[in-house]
Amino acid sequence: MPVFVEDPSQFSKQRLKAELITHNVELPARESKKEVLLELYLKHVGVKPTADFSSDEEEDQVQNGNDEGDKPDPDMTDLSLLTDEQLKVKLLKYGVKAGPIVDSTRSLYEKKLQRLMEPAPEVKLNGTGDAGQYSDSEEEQDEEEEDEQEAPEQSDPETVTELDSAANQLKRSPGSGECSYADSSTCSTFSITQLVEQGSLLVAVVTASKCPLTVIGFTLEPANDLLKEMFPDAEVTPFGISATRRRPIRGAAGRPVQFKYPLPDFSPASVERKEISRRLVPLWIQTVIFLIVSSLLFLIYMTFEEFSY
Amino acid sequence: MSSTSQKHKDFVAEPMGEKPVFALAGIGEALGKRLEEKGFDKAYVVLGQFLVLKKDEELFREWLKDTCGANSKQQGDCFGCLKEWCDSFL
Repeated sequence: MPVFVEDPSQFSKQRLKAELITHNVELPARESKKEVLLELYLKHVGVKPTADFSSDEEEDQVQNGNDEGDKPDPDMTDLSLLTDEQLKVKLLKYGVKAGPIVDSTRSLYEKKLQRLMEPAPEVKLNGTGDAGQYSDSEEEQDEEEEDEQEAPEQSDPETVTELDSAANQLKRSPGSGECSYADSSTCSTFSITQLVEQGSLLVAVVTASKCPLTVIGFTLEPANDLLKEMFPDAEVTPFGISATRRRPIRGAAGRPVQFKYPLPDFSPASVERKEISRRLVPLWIQTVIFLIVSSLLFLIYMTFEEFSY
Repeated sequence: MSSTSQKHKDFVAEPMGEKPVFALAGIGEALGKRLEEKGFDKAYVVLGQFLVLKKDEELFREWLKDTCGANSKQQGDCFGCLKEWCDSFL
């Protein structure tokens, strides 16, 4: 922090007053000249060395509170100076539909607005937000730094940046890439160029990490990129690990797959059953009954015809 | 809240009429005294504040804390009983 010693003679009158108040010096009169104030200031306060850290901050705060001219941020204006209407508008800006702002409610709304105006905490993922309080985070950072330092040593800086460029390099010089893989027995059949051509980044990373080879350097960054690709919304944590909400996986762990609509049953038995339910009496029985009834009617008609003669 | 107190049941059972502020659930003798000192002598005055805050739980709780120093449970009881009363009588 650069030490910045201000010339008290250039202070504004208001500022001088504020300074005097903070140093518990009684103000001379209501309307005193600046010279008088300056004299008092130099006498009681003087130019203290700014090494006194806490008091320095305090001064700044008070100064901010009193000196209107030093405040460029309109949001930080004193809330009690706002009119009811302005307060309401401000609350609306933060998505709060305020009720009537009257004497009994105003202070509550002011407090609420104050709370809303405070900058939101940046990252709060399962307690990693206060990771700075723990010493082990420093170690983590150191390790990360070490990793970063090691990475360029093991491979060209170009290869660290992206897997694609690395793959291209390997493609350009397939001999060097392939022979280095051939050295290790586990990866004898593995061809990184082919895999990259297929676009299977994950496989490349996994298999590459299996090989204790010179590629370790460039797998670090692509792994991050891959994670970013898979979870674009996930926030970056200092540890590279973030806990996400558990999502149920349909059909996993023996749970039955649940469809939105019941699956239609196409087994022959069910088709037959449907057929039957559609027509309670089969077609052939219907025709037989129809024939019997019609022949009976015909017989009756015939007998009546015979009797009439 | 799984179970409601007898006071809560008594309060939400009928119109509050001219009941004193002590009749509210969560408001005991000490809190009632403090509320009375601030002019909230009847339950309906507190109801008025509750309504003017648009039945907002957060704001009402804060107001109750500021006004009479009610703790979290007392705030919850008072809010719950006024809310339920409003649901049935308003």
